[in-house]
Amino acid sequence: MIAIGKREFIGMFKSVKSIIIIAVLLLTAFYSAKYSEILTAGISLTETEMEDIHTGGLLFLLLLFGQLFVMGLSHDSINRESHERTMRFLVTRTSRPRILLGKFAGAWLFWVVCIVISFLLISIFSLNFNLFIFSQVIALGTFQIAVAMLLSIVIPKPSVTMFLGILIGMLFPIVSFWIVFTGNKWISWLKFGNPYYYLVEDNYLFLVIFGLAGLIMAAAMVIFNRREF
Amino acid sequence: MKAIETKQLTKMYGSIPVVGGISLVVETGEVFGFLGRNGAGKSTFINMLTGIIRPTSGSFSLLGVNGPNERMKKHIGVMPDYSTLFDSMSAMQHLKFLSSLSGRSVSETECKHVLQLVGLEGVGKKKVSKFSFGMKKKLGIAQAIIHNPSLIFLDEPTSGLDAESALHIHKLIDSLKQQGKTVFMTSHNLDEVEKLCTTIAIMKDGSIVKSGTMDELRSYYRSAITVQLKHGPIPTGEAQKLYSWLESVGTELQKDAALTTITVGSEQKIAEIIRAFTNCHVNIFRVEVNEPSLEEMFLAE
Repeated sequence: MIAIGKREFIGMFKSVKSIIIIAVLLLTAFYSAKYSEILTAGISLTETEMEDIHTGGLLFLLLLFGQLFVMGLSHDSINRESHERTMRFLVTRTSRPRILLGKFAGAWLFWVVCIVISFLLISIFSLNFNLFIFSQVIALGTFQIAVAMLLSIVIPKPSVTMFLGILIGMLFPIVSFWIVFTGNKWISWLKFGNPYYYLVEDNYLFLVIFGLAGLIMAAAMVIFNRREF
Repeated sequence: MKAIETKQLTKMYGSIPVVGGISLVVETGEVFGFLGRNGAGKSTFINMLTGIIRPTSGSFSLLGVNGPNERMKKHIGVMPDYSTLFDSMSAMQHLKFLSSLSGRSVSETECKHVLQLVGLEGVGKKKVSKFSFGMKKKLGIAQAIIHNPSLIFLDEPTSGLDAESALHIHKLIDSLKQQGKTVFMTSHNLDEVEKLCTTIAIMKDGSIVKSGTMDELRSYYRSAITVQLKHGPIPTGEAQKLYSWLESVGTELQKDAALTTITVGSEQKIAEIIRAFTNCHVNIFRVEVNEPSLEEMFLAE
């Protein structure tokens, strides 16, 4: 599991896509933190909101494009190996749960590193590391990576997951916000399965997101165990 | 201990049985050759044993452990039939990565040694994407043995290799056999199987049609030894008697004035035939005995 995770982690840093995404994250973190005071002039914010304003840009970016970024990098995490038949080397040497968890851990660590660096960059301006928001972002990232893993297992072709990944990445925040804020009682119940719902309130309900990610990974595991290579 | 034991191992794709209830035992230390035409089900059988695909029914154990499971996987090495390697890695990185997956970290010296064994010395740091087909094949074998497994599955290990490289691999398989390792290999190269394998199974349409040691198979197929005698004229009075006797001891008798060909069931009959000709005062100029080769046995099935 460690070897697979390490390979996935290092591999993610090597692609052009990841360099672009890291650059976008860091630039957003840097400029949103640097110019956050401008926002405070135009919007009336509470004292707590004022404290968190530095992370605003990064949060906005991750809420809107987080799923797209994760999909962009991890949509073919599993099916690429199946498609190229390198999966045969993995399944003959280790268990399938270890392969999946290794892949997940590698991708998760990549995003944790990126987010930690972004938050550290922000903390230079805010002189404060907001652990609560950081944890919320990590929870959201964990959910998004789990979704990417599931997609990569369900759909065997990387080209299809690339297309679907972009589609899901773009639609996910729109649909999520709609589900969370809609008054339609037929739709509204879906919010309990949506991570955005648990991020709206400033409480520890966001920990439920880890549970949702766990459920998605469990589903992914069941399907992966049935796959043939 | 049995290296491989399968009981009614079956793989169905829809209603089609690709492997239909194979029960097989491979003893430790054997080099087991699996023969069959394309599509016979050889690779499917190996893929089930190595965890690449799941059997529809039946069971199997590898090295005494009901498989597939993690503990057993550490002790097996697999070279799948068709696999692309990790193009972005060097040969050395390959071996280190795949060995670590099997729970054994290997040193650079060990990697170099294994690369040398398969005839890939000096290319350890070269990216796999720059390898030729033959080099990839050799690296495929190297990765199967890098973690020092007790049971090694090689799916057509020498197909596509030049004669010299194939010979190199033959020597490697032979040395694995000397080390007491069990090798389960498939091949289309019948000479190779005849040379390397201690036990052979012939597979057809998803079932094993014949299996046994090389000698057992030979003795089975020796029921079809062809004896050809080039001889002088048979005295008129003796011809009828001689031919009727030949018809009683063998099958497929072809008679000519100076050439008689007969298929017999055992080696002992050859001496009797020669004796019969000499007793009839027939001069024998040449005797040719043709035993079926593995290729003929294979084609017969």
